[in-house]
Amino acid sequence: MKKSTRKIVRTGTIITIVALLGITLYLNLRDGSQTINVGDEAVDFKLETLDGEQLQLSEITGDKGVILNFWGTWCKPCREEMPDMNQVYNEGHEDYEIVAVNVSENKQQISQFISGLSEDLDYPIALDPNRSVTKAYNIGPLPTTIAVNKDGVVVEKQEYQLTKEDLHKFIESSIE
Amino acid sequence: MQDKKNSENKEIICSHCGHVNPPGTQLCQSCGKMINENYDKKKIKDLMRYDGSAVRSKVKSKSIFDKIWNFFTSIKVGVAIIAIIAIAAAIGTILPQEYFIPLGADPLEHYTERYGTFGMLYYKLGFTELYSSWWFVLLNGMLALSIIAASVDRGVPLYKSLKNQRAKKHDSFFRRQRLNNTYSSTEQTESVVKGLQDKKYKLKQDGNHYLLEKGRLSRWGPYINHTGLIILLVGSMLRFFPGVYIDEVIYAQEGETVSVPTTDGKYYVKNEAFTLDTYDEDSGTVFDESLQQNKEMTISNFQTDISFYENKSADVIGSKPDLEKIDDYSIRVNHPYVFEDYQLYQSSYDNSQLKSMTFRLEDKDGNTIGENFEVNLDEPADTYEISEDININMRAYAPDFLEIDENGTLLSETPVPSNPAFVFEVDNGEKKELSLLQIMNSTDISEGNEYKIKFVEAEEHVATVLTLKKDLSMPIIATGFVIFLIGLFIGSYINHRRIWINGDGDSMSIAAHTNKNYYGLKKEINSVLEANNLDHMNDKEEQDKSKG
Repeated sequence: MKKSTRKIVRTGTIITIVALLGITLYLNLRDGSQTINVGDEAVDFKLETLDGEQLQLSEITGDKGVILNFWGTWCKPCREEMPDMNQVYNEGHEDYEIVAVNVSENKQQISQFISGLSEDLDYPIALDPNRSVTKAYNIGPLPTTIAVNKDGVVVEKQEYQLTKEDLHKFIESSIE
Repeated sequence: MQDKKNSENKEIICSHCGHVNPPGTQLCQSCGKMINENYDKKKIKDLMRYDGSAVRSKVKSKSIFDKIWNFFTSIKVGVAIIAIIAIAAAIGTILPQEYFIPLGADPLEHYTERYGTFGMLYYKLGFTELYSSWWFVLLNGMLALSIIAASVDRGVPLYKSLKNQRAKKHDSFFRRQRLNNTYSSTEQTESVVKGLQDKKYKLKQDGNHYLLEKGRLSRWGPYINHTGLIILLVGSMLRFFPGVYIDEVIYAQEGETVSVPTTDGKYYVKNEAFTLDTYDEDSGTVFDESLQQNKEMTISNFQTDISFYENKSADVIGSKPDLEKIDDYSIRVNHPYVFEDYQLYQSSYDNSQLKSMTFRLEDKDGNTIGENFEVNLDEPADTYEISEDININMRAYAPDFLEIDENGTLLSETPVPSNPAFVFEVDNGEKKELSLLQIMNSTDISEGNEYKIKFVEAEEHVATVLTLKKDLSMPIIATGFVIFLIGLFIGSYINHRRIWINGDGDSMSIAAHTNKNYYGLKKEINSVLEANNLDHMNDKEEQDKSKG
């Protein structure tokens, strides 16, 4: 084998194997389920609300920021943060919208929960009965709250209970 | 030291025939004269593995690539890698792989709980998902590099030396071969050559020098085998690429339509009915006794009748799909439903999820009033009509009862109906009574209750568990394996035999070499020699044995 051929064979083989290994390890080690994080584009979805209306994310993000709150009635911090969210919401929500996505519960459970609260929740509650949206966002613990700006990009994400301050920060980010 | 350096870096001119050999050559490529005096001192057997030509890696290394390359050409390194892979694979069988632990369990917790510190270490080191752990993949990559480097480094010189070999060899070469003999006359040279040619030997002639050769393919066996291995490794690597290898679980309750994972919501499958057949223990056949010994029922058939749908609207997530039925099928064990490159197998079933609970209403004296009522645990109704006068209202429901909240509502620990609790209100038009019911327990909330609600029975969901499989790497892996076996066969069962005959001068010298089965070669030559009334070949090894 000529020296030049030899060089090509050696260098080529090593580089090919290293490259293939690199790709394999990358594909293998990256989080298989694609969690949506800050900076990612928010996956569009269309769900029915508790009031029986259709709600599509992209239609709201056209002119408003959106706070997506994934919750369940069995989750204590969710129950605690919802009245806070409602208070902030009622201070005015001209430039943003809160969408509380309930994870896989039936209407009876949700209604029962709301009827136990001292005041009604005024923001829309979207129903995700077979968790398709929850899965698409790869939501881990509840509550998880995500702020989406008008460009449909995730700008904030928190995987535990929001304080009112947190919520204000989320709203600020979503309408910037 | 200086000497060695020289011999390693410079081309070598054969002192006998003047042929210019590449650095590192052991035996002259042209005439076979020994260049390195020490060549056959260490090795007693088969000095001809690479026909004495320079093994590239043993020459010189320059760039980083050369250094890496040369490291991996070493047989020792190759064997070490294989040994590590084998040991790792063996360790990987000590505890069950993550694939086999219960669905949804946290692996770290699971292994630590069950196997203690060892289990935790086992998990942390990646043994629980051995075949996809980064270091195992890395080892396989190193094995691939080792196989390629070692093959190229040895295969190329071997190919060259076999291609360039000459019929004319130095006398010392004849003497060094295990099988050799010298005959006082050259008369029968032609006839011996002819005899060997009849035995399918190919002839290469240079004056009175003859080279007879057959089965050279045998030498390529290991290289073919290695090619197969590389294809195998590539195939197994492809499994990590998206869309090549899929193994998913689909869980569908009776009557439920679920989307088929990894198809981006294009396909949906509906569980129309799940059937579980058992063998009849009193069928009057010879199997009855063994069937009766088994405490549980022996299952003869798992079957899921499915409807298969295609989603016509590639709509946004969460919206209702526009389904069109494409197929009906009954999936049984080993009879998967096949679509595109996917197979849908019957895996198991699950009846641990509660579907509904039935209750009855009793008065003070224990008499049942009206109809029993059934509460659907997934979508409970608000009111149940018991009789003309009496309604039962569901005031609160917790699927997995935890406690009673301050405001009187029931709190649930999870949304799964595993420990349901209800607050029922019995309304007979005149007064309302409240009672709390848990599975085994009922408490009066209002005082002096006249009615009692009693649990009658519960019904479970029957869910089928299907596995979705797709493996595009299988044809590649199968091809690799077949090539591997062909290489193994060629290398093991074909003998590369070479016979040199020197008919120059007064005497005829014969020497023979094979890469395996000297006995067969000896027999073959001797039969030709016998036909020419010549003595048998001398076998150095046998002589050594008889001497020793």
